[in-house]
Amino acid sequence: MSGPENTEHASAKAQAGAGGTADVETGHDYDGIREFDNPLPRWWLTTFYGTVIFAIGYWFYYHTAATGDSQMTTYQKEITAAQKEEDQKLQALEAQGKGVSEEQLLALSKDAAAVARGAAVFKQNCLACHGDRGQGVVGPNLTDRYFLHGAKAKDAYQVIGNGVLDKGMPAWRAILGAAKVQDVTAFVLELRGKNLPGKPAEGVAEDEAARAKP
Amino acid sequence: MKEVRITYDDGSVRRFMLASMFWGLIGMIVGLLCATQLAFPALNFAPILSFGRLRPLHTNAVIFAFVGNMLFAGVYYSTQRLCKTRLASDLLSALHFYGWQLIIVAAAVTLPLGYSQGKEYAELEWPIDILIALIWVVFAVNFFWTLAIRREKHLFVALWFYISTIITVAVLHIVNSLALPIFSGLKSYSIYAGVQDALVQWWYGHNAVAFFLTTPILGIMYYFLPKAAERPVYSYRLSIVHFWALIFMYIWAGPHHLLYTALPDWAQSMGMVFSVMLWAPSWGGMINGLLTLRGAWGKLRSDPVIKFFIAGVTFYGMATFEGPLLSIKSVSGLAHYTDWIIGHVHTGALGWNGFMAAGMFYFLVPKLWNRPLHSKSLADLHFWTATIGILLYTVSMWISGVTQGLMWKAVGEDGALLYPSFVETLIAIRPMYLTRMVGGTLYIVGFVVMLYNLGKTIAAGAPVETSVTVVEQESDSAPDVAWSAILFSRPILIAGLGLVAIAAFFLIDSVKIWIPVVTLLAGLLTAMWISYAMKRDQEGRLNVHRTLEGRSLIFTALVLLAVLIGGVAEILPTIVIDRAVPLSGAIQQPYRPLELHGRDIYVREGCYVCHSQMVRPFRSEKLRYGDPSLAGEFIYDHPFQWGSKRTGPDLHRVGGKYGNLWHYQHMMDPRATSQGSNMPAYAFLAQSKLDLGDTAVKMSAMKMLGVPYSAAEISGGSGELERQGRAIAADLKAQGIAVDWDSQMVALIAYLQRLGKPPATTTPTQNAK
Repeated sequence: MSGPENTEHASAKAQAGAGGTADVETGHDYDGIREFDNPLPRWWLTTFYGTVIFAIGYWFYYHTAATGDSQMTTYQKEITAAQKEEDQKLQALEAQGKGVSEEQLLALSKDAAAVARGAAVFKQNCLACHGDRGQGVVGPNLTDRYFLHGAKAKDAYQVIGNGVLDKGMPAWRAILGAAKVQDVTAFVLELRGKNLPGKPAEGVAEDEAARAKP
Repeated sequence: MKEVRITYDDGSVRRFMLASMFWGLIGMIVGLLCATQLAFPALNFAPILSFGRLRPLHTNAVIFAFVGNMLFAGVYYSTQRLCKTRLASDLLSALHFYGWQLIIVAAAVTLPLGYSQGKEYAELEWPIDILIALIWVVFAVNFFWTLAIRREKHLFVALWFYISTIITVAVLHIVNSLALPIFSGLKSYSIYAGVQDALVQWWYGHNAVAFFLTTPILGIMYYFLPKAAERPVYSYRLSIVHFWALIFMYIWAGPHHLLYTALPDWAQSMGMVFSVMLWAPSWGGMINGLLTLRGAWGKLRSDPVIKFFIAGVTFYGMATFEGPLLSIKSVSGLAHYTDWIIGHVHTGALGWNGFMAAGMFYFLVPKLWNRPLHSKSLADLHFWTATIGILLYTVSMWISGVTQGLMWKAVGEDGALLYPSFVETLIAIRPMYLTRMVGGTLYIVGFVVMLYNLGKTIAAGAPVETSVTVVEQESDSAPDVAWSAILFSRPILIAGLGLVAIAAFFLIDSVKIWIPVVTLLAGLLTAMWISYAMKRDQEGRLNVHRTLEGRSLIFTALVLLAVLIGGVAEILPTIVIDRAVPLSGAIQQPYRPLELHGRDIYVREGCYVCHSQMVRPFRSEKLRYGDPSLAGEFIYDHPFQWGSKRTGPDLHRVGGKYGNLWHYQHMMDPRATSQGSNMPAYAFLAQSKLDLGDTAVKMSAMKMLGVPYSAAEISGGSGELERQGRAIAADLKAQGIAVDWDSQMVALIAYLQRLGKPPATTTPTQNAK
């Protein structure tokens, strides 16, 4: 290696500063701005190639080979799994006598603790539409024995849990959970027949409801 | 060889710069007011100052007025010097300046008045859109004319970025703004509907960020940073690779704004993978900026210009890492619709754009007014106040976003939402809103300190016109290389073949797996063979890129090609969908006339700014809102109103969820029905009448856009409107509320009650490809 080359190299190195490699100028000059001809940083290039490979792999997995689930399939699986879990829980409760069969719900409405829990839930969520004592405001009077959606305990549970969206009754199971819906059902069942003055009766009388919806 | 004396047009640069400072201050103050309104809803003083109308004003002002004027100043200053010629036309420069300010003033007047097309960052109504297109053409002619008369053979990298900016913004703006005006008031409807409109909008929206807020500023960085640092650009090769990769890939990334929506899965994946691939090309710009400073790091302490540039480039690096991260579907599932996104864009807007602007101002003002900067320590004060402001802003928005995202998703043991009340999640993040206000205030204080500092400098100096002597090039009418030799050169052919192969891989239907795989392999093999052949034959090889840099026309054509590929590949498939075929099994009825009026009010008030209409396919959203939204439910939505942020809950399934009375009370005073809500009150809607004369005009316009109203439905529109209005008014009357059937309140309630009625038939097969 000849001397002058070494010196040149050393000065280029010094110029490069912390970079450590010699900067080679391109010879370009724009309004006094010059440009080095440094190579692409290796880590940068690796990152770039890495993301490209990831992209191709992702596409192959989800689309070309369609091995991965579409977002709707993923959703269906999530919902199905959740439903299955809930069914299992309900079966377990049923077995313990704490389920949502007609008899068990009616029994629950005689359980003072459950009714008290239900009253608390009612106070928090229901009184805006059904009044502080269930006498009805926008929603119907719950203390009479007239029914819009069936007279059975199970009907009440169903209406509270799944709502009647066309009439403005929200589906409360998603918001409160199954246990609280059960409690509030117990409370509502317990209200029946108190006949508090409030919203006039709507729907059909109890015996008629039973006939219409056996 | 002969020498000529030229004087640069620095007056235009000064004008644009001063306008940028002025509008920047206004835009930021409006932003601060918006941020404050979110914490203190009582500050929505009047309809024209309500959040839904001011937020579009804030975004438009900051993007198009602050950054717009700043980039015009930077482009004009550097282009003249890089081309060694005065700007081509003083007339066009003046037209450009005054035209652009006119657009801004028109925006500042019309947006608070509620004239809006209802698409984010593209709210301006059609006459202003046309004016924008015209002025942009003026800018383009002035710029390309200047390139044409340049005295420097080769184009510097800054100019490549400017070219891509001008070309792409023109395409984006025109395609996205296509709308049918109704000649009754200042109103138009997007020609696209639903999914198509969403895709076009976010192709535009994302690339407004890319080609208005990023590429021109990168060009400005490439000129001003080496100038201020007095160091050569780190790597010419990196410039080439990251430039082409960036502009080619950016255009595909738009759908990452629509992850987990009703957009088909393939388009979502396309947006996601291209966003991930954008990480390195974006960082290429950051590296080239930061490493240019090697050997001059000392200036970081002493020179405010360098300080702002380096911090700006660093914020750019942070934002362009965060961007790909947020584009990953599962991350988006958490972060989308939350404040995390707001934090992300402000890293870019305050950190990258704001600091690059400040650096450029500190560099240019002393030069253009021939006076050293009034005070370096005030510039330091600006830097630190603003930096702390940005950190407070972004960190509070991260916390807020992640907190709210997790609360929305939280489902308890009993299968119910842990935080069923939306307001609950809003109250949880209120401290973060207050912190954000402090951060924003600090940033503005810093900005004002800068204005004072620059004002003092300007007052003490005097404007100068820079004159230089340049060497006139020999005019060579015959180019040294034929254009065909460039276009059919090996690097371009290889790049082309590689692109075709990859496009085939992505786009060919997946029915037969082997087709894309074989195409990809064949493409790559061909590319390798050509590359090998090229290596063998190094002698006499044409340095294609260098040659290209000397040929602005071919360069520009290739830029156009690079940005068109992505747009065409993504948008075309959804445009050609036949709307007569119900999408995803959902059959939608057109809006009834009163609902149509209500929808226009929804757009006018900017409800989409805070409410999405897109229930994502998650269990938590099913519990909170209802069934996932399907593409077929939006086919008559001109424009789409999916929104991008949930400051309030999603509204797509709100129809029938509450009674008319609830909506009335909620609109009169949101706090009456939802304690802790930060929504503005819309009591004035009860007093405002509908413009009933418009009914037929609106329906006819929709019919022209493909909504199947019959002639009878249109002629009977007024009667139908009155029936529906009276029914709602009667329902309210029965509950003790007197409101006119033809009030805007009733129309808005009609629209809201219509939303998200479950489609007639729903099959969960959507997107299952």
